[in-house]
Amino acid sequence: MKKFNVLVLICLLFGLIAVPSLFAANVTLTIWGRDIPDDSADHVYVRDLIAGFQAKNPDIKIDYVALGDPGLADKTKITMASGSGLPDIFQTWGGSVMGGYADAGHLLDLTAELKSVPGSVAAQQAMTWKGKIYGVAPFFAVAGIFVNEGIFKTYGLKVPTTVEEFDKVCDTLLSKEIQPFACGEKDKWPALALYMYLTNRYGGDASAQASARKIPYNSDPFVKAAQLYQIWIKKGYFGSTPLGEAYGDAQQLMATGKAAMHITGSWMCAQYSNPEFTDQTLGFYAFPAFKSGGVGTAYDIMGMTDIGFAATKAAASKKDAVVKFMKYAMSVEACQSDPGRICSVPGVKAKSQLTTQASAVFASAKTVTFWWDQDLPPSVTSPLNDTIQSFFLSETDVRKALTSFEALCVENIGPVKK
Amino acid sequence: MVVTAGRSASQGKGRKRERGTTLFVFLCVLPALLFLAVFLYYPIVETFRISQMKTSGLSEEVFVGLDSYRKLFADEEFLAGLRHVFSWVFWSIVIQLPLSFFIAFGLTYYSNRMSGTLRAIFYLANILPSAITAMLGKMVFAPNYGILVTIGKVLGWKWLASTDFLGNPKLAFWSVFVIATWAYSGFYIIYFMARMEQIPRDLREAAELDGASALRYAWSIVLPDLSYAIRICAVLCTVGSLKLFDLPYLMTTGGPGYATVTLGISLYRHGFVNWNYGKAAAIGVVIFVLSLVFTIIQFTLGKKKDT
Repeated sequence: MKKFNVLVLICLLFGLIAVPSLFAANVTLTIWGRDIPDDSADHVYVRDLIAGFQAKNPDIKIDYVALGDPGLADKTKITMASGSGLPDIFQTWGGSVMGGYADAGHLLDLTAELKSVPGSVAAQQAMTWKGKIYGVAPFFAVAGIFVNEGIFKTYGLKVPTTVEEFDKVCDTLLSKEIQPFACGEKDKWPALALYMYLTNRYGGDASAQASARKIPYNSDPFVKAAQLYQIWIKKGYFGSTPLGEAYGDAQQLMATGKAAMHITGSWMCAQYSNPEFTDQTLGFYAFPAFKSGGVGTAYDIMGMTDIGFAATKAAASKKDAVVKFMKYAMSVEACQSDPGRICSVPGVKAKSQLTTQASAVFASAKTVTFWWDQDLPPSVTSPLNDTIQSFFLSETDVRKALTSFEALCVENIGPVKK
Repeated sequence: MVVTAGRSASQGKGRKRERGTTLFVFLCVLPALLFLAVFLYYPIVETFRISQMKTSGLSEEVFVGLDSYRKLFADEEFLAGLRHVFSWVFWSIVIQLPLSFFIAFGLTYYSNRMSGTLRAIFYLANILPSAITAMLGKMVFAPNYGILVTIGKVLGWKWLASTDFLGNPKLAFWSVFVIATWAYSGFYIIYFMARMEQIPRDLREAAELDGASALRYAWSIVLPDLSYAIRICAVLCTVGSLKLFDLPYLMTTGGPGYATVTLGISLYRHGFVNWNYGKAAAIGVVIFVLSLVFTIIQFTLGKKKDT
């Protein structure tokens, strides 16, 4: 009897140790992301993605690390350079930055597994490099004009349908002591969206040609766009202190009705729809084309991945778990909680009027040009933003500034092919 | 013979003890030496090596010799950074050190119940994290809601209310410098005060008996006595200015344009933003060489003065 009791005791002890380990996760996916998975409107998707995936896949443990911005980019870059300590999955905007990691042989080719996942073509294109798919982009952002409908209504203004109409609208707004455009150029990148649009409207696919080294960055469309930009800056359309204001300040100008328009990405839809953030009524519109003399159309849209994930070679032995995660990230269930982004996944309904309008702009796109500062090689992206910021300095000769930038591109990308 | 043998035996023991002591000292120093070798000397040598390569960190390294250095001297951002750190060094030594000296002298010479509190207040800025200091700086100088702009609005001074301190290239450098002076002077004040408090009280009493004013006492007794401390602070100030990164980066990210860019910011951007490690390493080498040269010059000049 004594022996039997001891045996039972041993079995119980063994059970206590062994049973939990049988149920415990047998795969751990380390994911590096930007946002903390909390209740903030911007972070809801990441929060629900992790919680939802974990609930559905108890055998896969998610070790999510929020690194912030630019922490995510910096840490990813340093780790990729060293080649050790790579996460299994990392958040990325795709484009050339992701392409650089792929070229270095650090990314996991998921073409076969992900090519049939339903989603927008542009989003898949952003996560594709040299014909191989490395991840998914559940959300996409497009640049457009956020317009304060209340201010426009009060002063009897109409949203410009041609570039030429901006002058009249902006002059009227200035006469009413309202800043026409919010910008936040202290952060350097916020001015890019408008410059990309102006360049496209003057020269169509000039940016694609320049990056393919068919034309230089100081050719006509780039110079004309910069000149018009600088004229608008000098006229005060961006306020009197655009270089002292950060992107957050620009949002505040819109939120308080001190500025009437903001040309930026649709990622702002959630915030601009949030009554706790602003009491103004805003709308989202496509950037117009020139009435005459232009090449680009209002259907040429600038934008890129808003949230994307790519997998690294570190996850080669856990490919099944990675694919499960990627597919879940692209599911209606995971995406439906996001309050404001444009979703690449069919069947996810927009949560606000602004997102609906932004989604319509995205849907109308005939061409999508990716953000230059994400799509060009990193060696020239920061100087590009510096160059655009220099347009805001009245003494800058924009042609000279673009010629300096072109010289840098010749050094880093190569000369223009004749 | 016996005596000689005894002497050589004791000599042998002495040598053994000496050798034992040397080994013990070497073993004591070894961890620190290893630490320095791995974390200081090796990175310096590696930086020199990388500065002669063209690499993005991901691509293969290509030997380019001194090409990165040649390109640096045609690089607008680097040249702006170089100009700014030289200005920063000059103005720090001309403004921050004298200001700190006078504040320290005032607190020591006119010592009263408030001195301790004032000392803490002056030092407080030095112990605040750079991020907080930069945030406070932005609160002071920001357009629209900044303290100075708000004061301008309240007093109806349009020129002040419409001044863009951080967005105007002519003002941005000085706006950051003002905050830096506030943040960094605390250390120099404490350092000078510590030295001033060691000056024998008799000297001050003798000077007062001779009818010396406070200024005369400061000029003829305190200043010469503090020459070594001032030299140390000047070296720290110079090296700190050459490496400057945090405050300008956090307040203006080096802008507008390149108005507040420093060598440290230029290094960071070339390395971690533009993925040009060769150029970034070359900037690191320039900072290292400049720091070394300035330190040698300052100590050589100081030594000559002492002799």
